[in-house]
Amino acid sequence: MIRSGIVRENRYFDSMFLMQVRQRMEREPGVHQAAAVMGTDTNKGLLGRLGFTGPWLSAAGPNDLIVAVEGESSEIIRAVLDRLEEFLTQKVKEREERPRTLAAGLAVLPQANLAVISVPGRFAAREARTALEHGLNVFLFSSNVSVEDEIALKSLAHEQGLLVMGPDCGTAIIRGMGIGFANVVRRGSIGIVGSSGTGIQEVTCLVHQSGQGVSHAIGTGSRDLSEAVGGVSTWAALGVLEDDPDTKVIVLVSKPPGAKPLARLGGRLQKCRKPVLACLLGTGKPGSPWEQVHLVSTLDAAAARAVELVGGRPSVPDSPDPTTWVASVIRERAQMSSEQKYVRGIFAGGTFCYEAQHVLEQGGIAVHSNAPLDPRLALDDPMRSVGHTLLDLGDEQFTEGRAHPMMDAALRIERLLLEARHAEVAVVMLDFILGHNASPDPVGDLLPAISQAKRAVAGRGGYLSVVASVCGTDGDPQGLQAQVTGLEEAGVIVLPSNAQAALYCRALVEGLR
Amino acid sequence: MSEPLENTPVGLLLREGPRAVNLGLAGFADALRAQGVPVVSVDWTPPLVDDQTAAILDRLL
Repeated sequence: MIRSGIVRENRYFDSMFLMQVRQRMEREPGVHQAAAVMGTDTNKGLLGRLGFTGPWLSAAGPNDLIVAVEGESSEIIRAVLDRLEEFLTQKVKEREERPRTLAAGLAVLPQANLAVISVPGRFAAREARTALEHGLNVFLFSSNVSVEDEIALKSLAHEQGLLVMGPDCGTAIIRGMGIGFANVVRRGSIGIVGSSGTGIQEVTCLVHQSGQGVSHAIGTGSRDLSEAVGGVSTWAALGVLEDDPDTKVIVLVSKPPGAKPLARLGGRLQKCRKPVLACLLGTGKPGSPWEQVHLVSTLDAAAARAVELVGGRPSVPDSPDPTTWVASVIRERAQMSSEQKYVRGIFAGGTFCYEAQHVLEQGGIAVHSNAPLDPRLALDDPMRSVGHTLLDLGDEQFTEGRAHPMMDAALRIERLLLEARHAEVAVVMLDFILGHNASPDPVGDLLPAISQAKRAVAGRGGYLSVVASVCGTDGDPQGLQAQVTGLEEAGVIVLPSNAQAALYCRALVEGLR
Repeated sequence: MSEPLENTPVGLLLREGPRAVNLGLAGFADALRAQGVPVVSVDWTPPLVDDQTAAILDRLL
């Protein structure tokens, strides 16, 4: 194998585009692996681990583009790089007509009311501040923004009657328009406020599947309800949904905040002028300590109760009946060998990983994770699973310098094949997230690896059960039914929600109790 | 923020729907455009200094 590459100074491209460049090169015959990244230290480290080294690489800076290719011959590599050079030159030409700054962008669209910001975290706060100073609301997808910057931005927004969704905000739907990772759902009377992007996606999809619709879904950023930030965006979003004539019921989706913000949240929700439902993931006991506030602990229950509150019939009940799975669970287990006992979850959605851990722990199962519910169960090495392990592959330790697993399946494929090598693994749990900006075929990306993993386990006399849920709608570009069918045809057990998929996994590893 | 909220900039965003300036992932702008959202995509490139350095320079200058 020959390894080579090029560096192009001061040529910036975003991570989504660079992922497409990498995929394009890897489809070329004779190419073993390829990379297209900006020359940050993290990315150079990653390239080093892939076997790419040399002075050409070490001299690259964070604003320089690095393209690296491993192929069968230097002729193949040269041809691939030449074709790529032409493609990039064309892209640069296309970009020349675009405005270069936010202010210049506003001159083109002076009636803009929102800045959508997904630049690298170390530059994001400054751009967000500029947007607020120009009177724009902000959707801030970028993570790695300091909590001090978040507080300052939200305080500035509050003074001006503006909203900051984020930082680390994955999803919003405003008047039917999806921003970031969002699904195609019908408009309706259920308003959603959430600090969890995939949490919002699951609730909006299940509401849609139940025949109801969403007025607006407002992301607030993962830290908004922390003690430091104090829920500034959550309060603003609740206020505006209370005043919004299209919204009849409000759903709040969040991981449980600390004691002090939780008490403040309870006080605020009890004063809400509309029926309100709080989905505080993993809070366990049913019932609510707050008068007039419905409290649930799973996303599917949140969607089900919200649908009932607007007079509809939920497609997924808020408490499933696991006895209906008995035959299927027995069939799956009967094919396994005696040493197979653990569940391994490989998630693209952080909230799905969190929710599944909660469901398993409710059954008394200790779950290790790189993002654990109980810090004592944190994995020492995220690259190595222990016992029951659920992994959030969207976590920064896995995604730094590369596209999110909702867009790029490479990491999940690698991990799935790795887990299948361990004799004690009984079931692999997966989530598939459809919608705007997700991979064009999330299921298709993983199907070859799923089949390969199943074959590998069968080859040593066992059976690998694969359990999944698909977060999406038939309006999504990928199409919910087509994705589900693809999985089922590959022998994957597909449940209608992430919480149910986790419950099914629990039944599989425990035996039905 | 004073009540009612419907006439604030965030209230107007909900009432009128988004009209966006996009900075960063060009795919986000493409997805908005495909939904019929008016959007302008800025060809964003990193400034010479990051936010922290810029803040120090702002204080000094």
